[in-house]
Amino acid sequence: MEVLKNAIQFVLDLGAPVFVPLIMIIVGLIVRMKLRDAFSSALTLGLAFIGMNMVVGFMMDSISPAAQEFVKNSGINLNAIDGGWTPMSTLAWAWPLAFLMFPVQILINLLMLALKQTNTLNVDLWNVWGKIFTAVLVIGVSGNIPLAFLIAAIQVVLELKMGDVNQKQIQKLTQIRGVTCTHGMTLFNVFLYPINRLLDYIPFFNKHIDANWLKQKLGIFAENHVMGFIIGVLIGTFAQYPPQKILILGVQAAAALTLFPMVARLFMEALAPLSDSISDYMKRKYSDRQLYIGLDWPFMAGCNELWVAMIIWVPITLLWAVILPGNNILPFGGIINLSLAVPALIVTGGNLLRMIVLGVLTTPVFLYVATFFAPTITNLAKDTHVINVKDGQFLSWSSIELPDFRYLFAQASNIVHGEFLGLVLAIGWLGLFYWYYKGMQKRADQLSTELDGTSHHMSV
Amino acid sequence: MKRVIVACGSGVATSQMVSSKLKNLLQKRGIPAQVDAVDIKSLDRHIKNCDVYVSITKPDKEYPVTVCSGIPFLTGVGMDAELEKIIQALK
Repeated sequence: MEVLKNAIQFVLDLGAPVFVPLIMIIVGLIVRMKLRDAFSSALTLGLAFIGMNMVVGFMMDSISPAAQEFVKNSGINLNAIDGGWTPMSTLAWAWPLAFLMFPVQILINLLMLALKQTNTLNVDLWNVWGKIFTAVLVIGVSGNIPLAFLIAAIQVVLELKMGDVNQKQIQKLTQIRGVTCTHGMTLFNVFLYPINRLLDYIPFFNKHIDANWLKQKLGIFAENHVMGFIIGVLIGTFAQYPPQKILILGVQAAAALTLFPMVARLFMEALAPLSDSISDYMKRKYSDRQLYIGLDWPFMAGCNELWVAMIIWVPITLLWAVILPGNNILPFGGIINLSLAVPALIVTGGNLLRMIVLGVLTTPVFLYVATFFAPTITNLAKDTHVINVKDGQFLSWSSIELPDFRYLFAQASNIVHGEFLGLVLAIGWLGLFYWYYKGMQKRADQLSTELDGTSHHMSV
Repeated sequence: MKRVIVACGSGVATSQMVSSKLKNLLQKRGIPAQVDAVDIKSLDRHIKNCDVYVSITKPDKEYPVTVCSGIPFLTGVGMDAELEKIIQALK
């Protein structure tokens, strides 16, 4: 026993860039990948960690000094740097128990299908990392591993329920049949729904604005390098840098935002064969039953309302970050807030005006939750050694997905320390979820009469 | 070599997933092609130097290249037909 424990400790001490690939080879061989392919995937995974550490380090080194200058000049304390989602996924995969989340998601899905508790088959195994991330946040807050798995399991169940109840609305928006979105970010729908219901009382908000034209005009700002440059220049200006330094920071920021997805793609490249063979297996198992296939959000990316809303929110997010008392996060890598736009798109059924209002009102939730988790995320980076964060710096994610769920349920896990408030609030949130579910079910019934017979679209 | 691009919202996850799968399928059929995952926000730049665009969304406008759907590669429904379309365009 002692020998085994020492052996495990020895492997863990090698660090995530070594031990995660080792796990990957073992898992790959279990799902019958060829040794050569498994090794290649595993090595890619390892170098993705190294690459992400380099890019985050570069971002922190260029943005942090400017942020500190800004703090000094303005007295506004924004000491947590926003890395966006890609460094967070890196931290998630670095958790030694991360791969256990695959069987958790798959078994829950198969069980719920067998018991007819869902009609959705989630084949998006990439976003298993979202559940892993929830789990590591819970551990960061309360230190309880079983509760971390339990809360991640609840997230899996709720994502599938969301997939079921949102399918008709999503079909109406995308005109793609048979698929739905099982991404965890949709749990924020629960928070947006009551506000959207309030907007029902104001006739002005039923007005439809055509987003296509605006997308044509504004689209360039959403490109990573352009957005990075603008934010970099803004941060440099507020830091009262001299003009040359402002421009240098602009190009550095553009480099960071362009390099993040390039490096993050390596994680997907490594995990694709694995997730492909698992999802093939699941699809084969249920090939005789008509199911909604649960996917990641990008099949909705054709809805121009998303992009227009997100671009309009950028200056508003920066403004909120500066004026909100107690906010510590300087939005950067996560400034394009998909975690808000996708839920807002679904809840409002693609009403741009409402989406913008919902975003303006609820951006503070993201910033506060990002502030709350900044120490947790920073400690995670330090403990796992996959991302170097220097003393005095903090790393977080300004547009953290499902902030409502993650905050409340992480707090609920503090029950192990005798704190009840979090649990009470989490149960209240589940009540809101139930209300949302009933309301969307009604909407789905109405839509399904409307959508019947629209089979001339994409043959899916 | 002909080039296929697959676009999704970040150029990271879904597009990479579809492009890995497509790369494998084309390789098995012995069809040489470069398959790249790109960011849909920069689509207008990438579309200029590719032969096939595999879209994860329902395309809202005409493109100068063959446009195929990436959804069948995610759901498995209608995948062979869509693959055939891509292969024809690459010939």
